[in-house]
Amino acid sequence: MNDGKVKTGRYVAALVVAVAVVAAITAACGGDDDDSGGSGGGNNDRPLVIARDMDINSMDPSRAYCDTCQIYLTATYDTLIGLDPKDNKTFVARVAEKWEGNADRTQYTFRLNKKAKFADGTPLEAKDVKWSFERLANVKGSAAYFMDGITSIETPDAQTVIVKLAASDSSFLAKVNASYAGIINSKVATANGASNAKDADTTDKAEPWFLKNSAGSGPYTLASYTEGAEIRLARNESYWGDKPALKEVIIKQVKDAVTQRQQVETGDADIAMQIDPDTAKKIKNKNVTIKEVPSFNFVYIALSPGAKDNKVDLNPKIREAVRAAVDYDGIIQVTLGGGGKKQAAPIPNGFLGTKNLALPKRDTAKAKQLLKDGGQPNGFEIDAIYPNVNVYGVDFNTMMQKIQADLGEVGIKLKLQPVEFTVWVEKIRGDGIPMTAVYFAPDHTDPIQYVQYFGMVPGAPWASRAGSKDKPIVNQAEVDLSAKALAASSDEEREKLYESIGKEMIADAIILPIVNPNLVLAYRSDLEGMHYSACCNLEVQRLKRK
Amino acid sequence: MTAGVRNLETGLKLGRPTARVPAWLTLPVGVGAAIIFAWVIVALTVHWWAPFEPLQSVGTRLTGPSWQHLAGTDALGRDVLTRTLYGTRSSLPIAGIVIAVAVVIGCAIGAIAGLFGGWVDSFLMRISDITLAFPPILLAMTVTASLGPGLRNALFAMVVVWWPVYARLLRAQVISVKQQDHVTAAVSMGAGRGRLLVHHILPLSMTPILVNATMDFGQVVLLAASLSFIGLGALPPSPEWGSMISEGSVRFYEWWIAAAPGLAILTVVLGFNFLGDGVRDFLDPRTRRR
Repeated sequence: MNDGKVKTGRYVAALVVAVAVVAAITAACGGDDDDSGGSGGGNNDRPLVIARDMDINSMDPSRAYCDTCQIYLTATYDTLIGLDPKDNKTFVARVAEKWEGNADRTQYTFRLNKKAKFADGTPLEAKDVKWSFERLANVKGSAAYFMDGITSIETPDAQTVIVKLAASDSSFLAKVNASYAGIINSKVATANGASNAKDADTTDKAEPWFLKNSAGSGPYTLASYTEGAEIRLARNESYWGDKPALKEVIIKQVKDAVTQRQQVETGDADIAMQIDPDTAKKIKNKNVTIKEVPSFNFVYIALSPGAKDNKVDLNPKIREAVRAAVDYDGIIQVTLGGGGKKQAAPIPNGFLGTKNLALPKRDTAKAKQLLKDGGQPNGFEIDAIYPNVNVYGVDFNTMMQKIQADLGEVGIKLKLQPVEFTVWVEKIRGDGIPMTAVYFAPDHTDPIQYVQYFGMVPGAPWASRAGSKDKPIVNQAEVDLSAKALAASSDEEREKLYESIGKEMIADAIILPIVNPNLVLAYRSDLEGMHYSACCNLEVQRLKRK
Repeated sequence: MTAGVRNLETGLKLGRPTARVPAWLTLPVGVGAAIIFAWVIVALTVHWWAPFEPLQSVGTRLTGPSWQHLAGTDALGRDVLTRTLYGTRSSLPIAGIVIAVAVVIGCAIGAIAGLFGGWVDSFLMRISDITLAFPPILLAMTVTASLGPGLRNALFAMVVVWWPVYARLLRAQVISVKQQDHVTAAVSMGAGRGRLLVHHILPLSMTPILVNATMDFGQVVLLAASLSFIGLGALPPSPEWGSMISEGSVRFYEWWIAAAPGLAILTVVLGFNFLGDGVRDFLDPRTRRR
């Protein structure tokens, strides 16, 4: 008994101590909470974390060319004009407060905002715009083609920029709106080895400097970048426009969709934009908001009659047969759990001129008839070499196995060969591939990019891939129509022209769009202003915490 | 003398009471043999009794295990159990072929090296050293990646990885057996090198090769699956365990897609390891329990 009492006494003492400790800790934590709550806007002082599988190729605006680059560059470098995220169509003022093009779209004039200044305090002037555009062109990065056709850039005064073009280009505003055309502080960049000279592709040595610094006028500045790990952005406290709410933004490398989902659910990340619709459906967490929005990305299969290894006569009838044999709805189910749309032409849904185009439909009877008409009544065997990737939630292996089964039903046998992306690039740029599957994301907001890439027009990559390097396939109607579209000044006129181009591209039957995947935005529910931007992916300056 | 040697070779019982269970036949060995036997039967007969077609979509996609689909369905609505069972038809033959070819090539090289000695030996053994210096998976990846994905290339790559093991093993055996008295006797009676090798040396050198080959079976299954997992082995849509696990790996919450083929690999590797232990005990008198 006595023994027992002693023990009980000790337990009580221990309990008292424990309670005291817990109380002290709770008090301390409570104190912290009060502090941050009391200062007002404290939530926005906490860093915002974006979980992404980063594909950064460069942090230099003139050399960068990737989805994550778009987010980073938009935050740190202002462009002349912005895009209204509400409709992803209307241009809004940014550095330029006014802009206009002449009647035949060969000259554009921009009037710069006097208040605009770089993060280091120097005013942003016309000379910086001229210097940035010339550098973009001369460094010869992937986005250099945006500046193709510029004959001169004039700067009559510090607030006026006049760009003159060799030929009509109604897409020039869309290119200027793209994040790669952000304005760089020419003085700072030049001091660190940058150059806008003709030979800048060899003499410009500033790329390493851009890994550690940003030199823009944007709402954020680069605080640090660790390759393969994270980008840290700090608010530009002297931003000349509306001050962004969030003090710090971190873009963190998180490879797969499942981990991104877990991090958003636990609060380790605030935003994930690469979760596939199937995975997103399983999230049942009131702290996480899921929004499925239409994207401008698409996945397609491409037929190249002129590929070196091709042994089948891929005439237009046969190509139409392939189109009619694919079960589009089935593929959207299998790859995205229904989270996508069919697409008519190689111009994604939502772009000018795509509204009235007829969507593809499965019709196996028609496919068999077309095979007969095309001279292959018993079907044929063809190599399908494609990159072994998973993009926009579409797993290419899954998609191609489904297409293999679909085409098998009408007698077309696919020999599937998934390869590494780099191997695929080498093959497609070399001898070509008879049948392949690829994906595409827009560079800017004008539909002309699709004609220049997928159209059967001279200079378009797919025209020579479908035919051969020496003898690309040319569809003269597309050449004429696109010239007219580039010179057109009204959107109504352009819409009509692009619709006609879309019909021509459908008739080409070289590029067969399979699915236009929806984009899943998964984010913490306390976040406001979440959106998807056609030019810039995500504009972090529009975000804030409740 | 001759009789005694032959007994050692074949592992015949050396005067043990016939009623007792032989010492090498332990529980793990029995289990291992049973597992392998079961998988071989599956591989041979699955097309007669499998519940579904392995390449066809037969149910609602991504449903968990149920009575209808015991191991669930994958992203294309195919039955995971059926595909796993059909997987034996690529995994087991691959392992068999790789081991067989590697043993033949490895033994030929090892025997030549051991028998001739001198610069031939040095040359061949340095080549095998170089091959062994690479981590197996890395070398197999390099070979397959340069030849292009596909089971045939993966097979070739695995043979490239595996032959040095047997070459070294046999060379060591040949060198030690070469010095035994019966070989000296044969030489003195005028036996040629070929006859010496085939009749007097090889029969006494094969034991460790056999033991190793049995143990390696599981490793080859594993390596083949690894190559398929990273997209260098079996091509879609063939039901190969490694590529099935790879399909499942991107769908963490649909665990069943990877679970069934994973379990299959586990049992096969375990089975061969158990069996290999038994074979070693059976063939090697030194480790035999007394």
